[in-house]
Amino acid sequence: MDQQIVRKLTAIVGEKHALTEFEDRYCYSFDSTFINAMPDLVLQPGSRDEIAAVCRVAYEHDIPVVTRGAATGLSGGAVPVKGGIVLEMTRLNHIIEINTVNRYAIVEPGIVTQNYLAAVDQAGLFYPPDPASSKMATLGGNISECAGGPHGVKYGITRNYVLGLEVVLADGSIVQTGNLVDGDMSGPDWTMLFCGSEGTLGVITKIMLKLTQKPQAKQTMMAIFDRIEDAATTVSTMMASGVIPTTLEIMDNSTIRAVENFLNIGLPVEAGAILLIEVDGDPKAVEKHVQHVMKVCQDCKALTVKAAKTTKEADALWKARRSVSPACGKINPTKISEDATVPRSRIPEMVAAVREIAEKYKLKMVIFGHAGDGNLHPNILSNKHDKEEMARVSKAVEELFQAALKLGGTLSGEHGIGYLKAPFLVWELGEEGFQFGKDVKQAVDPKCLLNPGKMFDYRAS
Amino acid sequence: MSEEHVQEQWKKQLVKCIRCGTCRSVCPVFKEENSENTTARGKVQLLEGVVEGNVKLTPILQERFNKCLLCKACVKGCPSGVRTDLLFLSARQANARKNSLPLVKRVAFKGLTFRKLFDTGLRFGSVMQNVFMKKSADGRGNQARFNIPGSGLDLRRIIPPLADKPLRDRIPEKITGENAKGKAVFFTGCMLNYIYPEAGEAVVNILRKNGWDVTVPSDQACCGTPAFTSGDQDTGRKLAADNVRVLSGDYDLVITACASCGAALKNEYGEIIQDEDTRRKWEKISAKVMDISEFVEKFGDPGLFGPLPLKITYHDACHLVRGMDVSKQPRQVFAAVPKLDFRDMKDADVCCGAGGTFSMVYYDLSRRINDHKLDNAADTGADYLVTGCSACRMHITDGLSQRGSNMKVMHTAELIDMAYKSGENQKKGGK
Ligand SMILES: Cc1cc2nc3c(=O)[nH]c(=O)nc-3n(C[C@H](O)[C@H](O)[C@H](O)COP(=O)(O)OP(=O)(O)OC[C@H]3O[C@@H](n4cnc5c(N)ncnc54)[C@H](O)[C@@H]3O)c2cc1C
Ligand code: SF4
Ligand code: SF4
Repeated sequence: MDQQIVRKLTAIVGEKHALTEFEDRYCYSFDSTFINAMPDLVLQPGSRDEIAAVCRVAYEHDIPVVTRGAATGLSGGAVPVKGGIVLEMTRLNHIIEINTVNRYAIVEPGIVTQNYLAAVDQAGLFYPPDPASSKMATLGGNISECAGGPHGVKYGITRNYVLGLEVVLADGSIVQTGNLVDGDMSGPDWTMLFCGSEGTLGVITKIMLKLTQKPQAKQTMMAIFDRIEDAATTVSTMMASGVIPTTLEIMDNSTIRAVENFLNIGLPVEAGAILLIEVDGDPKAVEKHVQHVMKVCQDCKALTVKAAKTTKEADALWKARRSVSPACGKINPTKISEDATVPRSRIPEMVAAVREIAEKYKLKMVIFGHAGDGNLHPNILSNKHDKEEMARVSKAVEELFQAALKLGGTLSGEHGIGYLKAPFLVWELGEEGFQFGKDVKQAVDPKCLLNPGKMFDYRAS
Repeated sequence: MSEEHVQEQWKKQLVKCIRCGTCRSVCPVFKEENSENTTARGKVQLLEGVVEGNVKLTPILQERFNKCLLCKACVKGCPSGVRTDLLFLSARQANARKNSLPLVKRVAFKGLTFRKLFDTGLRFGSVMQNVFMKKSADGRGNQARFNIPGSGLDLRRIIPPLADKPLRDRIPEKITGENAKGKAVFFTGCMLNYIYPEAGEAVVNILRKNGWDVTVPSDQACCGTPAFTSGDQDTGRKLAADNVRVLSGDYDLVITACASCGAALKNEYGEIIQDEDTRRKWEKISAKVMDISEFVEKFGDPGLFGPLPLKITYHDACHLVRGMDVSKQPRQVFAAVPKLDFRDMKDADVCCGAGGTFSMVYYDLSRRINDHKLDNAADTGADYLVTGCSACRMHITDGLSQRGSNMKVMHTAELIDMAYKSGENQKKGGK
């Protein structure tokens, strides 16, 4: 990058917040995936106006701008594959308002999700989307990837809670979408245009979120199955039966073993699969739902169904779920986490397809995830230093996507498209759909400077 | 060890990092700086870059690795079990081999290996300190009169004076009694010897009170932590060998009352000792190392405690809680002292910001980290902050002085000794 431009940009954010040294830029060359690409400059702006000023300079000189939250993304979204500026949002980390009467919150995008969740909880309210990465990820990142979490089955995912956004566009202009009134419909839903846009359409600088009531009671259960197919059938049957659990998570045998190895908490290592189920609501309803859930599980050939007797027991079960990623990391270091998702009714077929693909390419693959959403998280455990194996991995990934799409599903339930899934987006959308996406991108970001090389800006080379 | 061999060792840890970023959520430095170049993930990936040949061991890289408290919060928080503590130590050493250390550090560490010279220097220092230092306004310690070049002493910083008479001059080398329950050798470490001898005396009292024989070898050397954590492995190795020799007697326990000395003797020597014979001897010693609070919890007689009507809170030193797995023990001891009002503070096990030489180089940053500790301590309403580490004590005391707080700081051993003394007084006072 031209030194004069670097000086100009540095003047905007201040010396301390412009990182030019190679060693520092290197720390911004990756996210939670296995790809690397170096930025030319890292800027840590402290305000919306600084961001707008940076964008204006970048626009003038045709420099790519890659917005970055905590870089915990799983599709390469924050990796500057075309170089340019990495714009780190973590200094914008304040809660502007939590309104308990009208039940909304206004926050800055760089706040760590967990810090926001704690503040909402303190105010006596509830914000349901809770990705497993909430301790480190940012809300801006959550919205940009449309993050989901275990509560998604009943409460929905991030997009169901975004009321409005303030966004800085590629040329530095500032727009506001939506407003604090839930139900605002003056014009198309621009907010949704930016939700899940992965930094390719604008830089989100302020967020308005809907809040809801805390459930009065909840109960956690674990159902143990001999065969994963039965667990899959349970999920589709349960969802069809009318009672919607808060959470419905699946873990297959390899996952159970990995977690048990890691935590030693007495999980059933012989089981083909387990389902972790939570129901919430007012205490009477919870009791009724527990009975119902247990019956469905039993009807679908569960070996046993247990309800956690104490909060400690329940916490242990959720800890088991949260430990899946690290536990798998211990088996094989490179964890390719896919989140191809299918309609709930097709889960049994998807499970069969995943197992077939694992076998075909002789790969260690575990299945766990938000089954209630149809989001299965097939994870391939491999080693990125093993070139031959990585070649099989990339073929297997392609087949996973094809299988999901064939069952009427999607490439990504929650991790986004980013760089890694960009080549396959056209499969899901079709040529015309993909072109439409390109046209939208072109209209909003005509010079294609925002997070280039990703999503609709992907060109097969 | 050749550089290739070192990198082979690194690779075993590096391959485990899944770049999940969980370490962001625990790193005290990151929480202040908000910059990926301070996280464990950032540093681990930089080392990956070194191994792959994309990153060089430059002075800038060396500086990034120095901006770390070695507090081990990231080791404990890492879901993949990456031993970042081993990696960062080894990286500092590799950097020091490549870029060498600043001259002041080199001279200072060299001095540590000449025990006698070091000892004389510090004694002389206790006389000379008034030339360079003046008493702080609140009388808690000393402040530098002028910038002492290379000392890393910020003019604002308040440090305790050197003791008029070091600990090892105050007590006999061997104290024995009849029917001893066991033989303990007390590794005092430098700070208890030269700065806080009263806390060291408390340790000896505790051991004696419980009927143990105590040896305090006069020829023990510095544990070497300041040297090997800065990357000076040779000095660290030499000091380790000296101490292994000194502690290899017929003792049942090796008692420490300093978090860093304890963690070094118990664990970290394993990373620096290379000589096979020394290693075998060290392994025997390692199994006997015990912090004084752990000793009291295991072997102490709680019946000897008298009432202590004090409001206290406790700070877990990094190298005690994560280096030696000592955190329940002092709390159990507090619970056994009658009338003692112990109030656990929020984030008691988060680093106080001292981090050895870290607080000299990054004084402002280490103060900001320390401020959270002091806020949490103040929230408990306690009058005393108790901790098992002299370095934490020094940094926290400085912080309290800076903000004009009345809270007092003491060593865990001093509190326990007080409880025993209260027990004695009660007995003397009649039925
Ligand atoms: C261990 C682990 C567990 C995870 N669990 C889940 C889970 O349960 N559910 C789930 O959905 N995801 C999960 N993820 C994925 C990831 O945490 C989420 O995608 C998260 O929302 C990313 O947030 P971030 O702040 O790290 O964003 P980053 O990775 O920094 O960025 C992600 C994308 O958002 C863009 N972006 C970030 N901030 C802004 C902004 N202010 N304006 C515009 N664009 C922006 C970036 O350009 C990038 O394209 C997990 C990841 C890990 C490592
Ligand atoms: S927590 Fe561990 S595995 Fe995760 S990024 Fe940090 S060092 Fe790597
Ligand atoms: S040792 Fe402490 S300061 Fe250093 S990277 Fe780990 S958590 Fe951060």
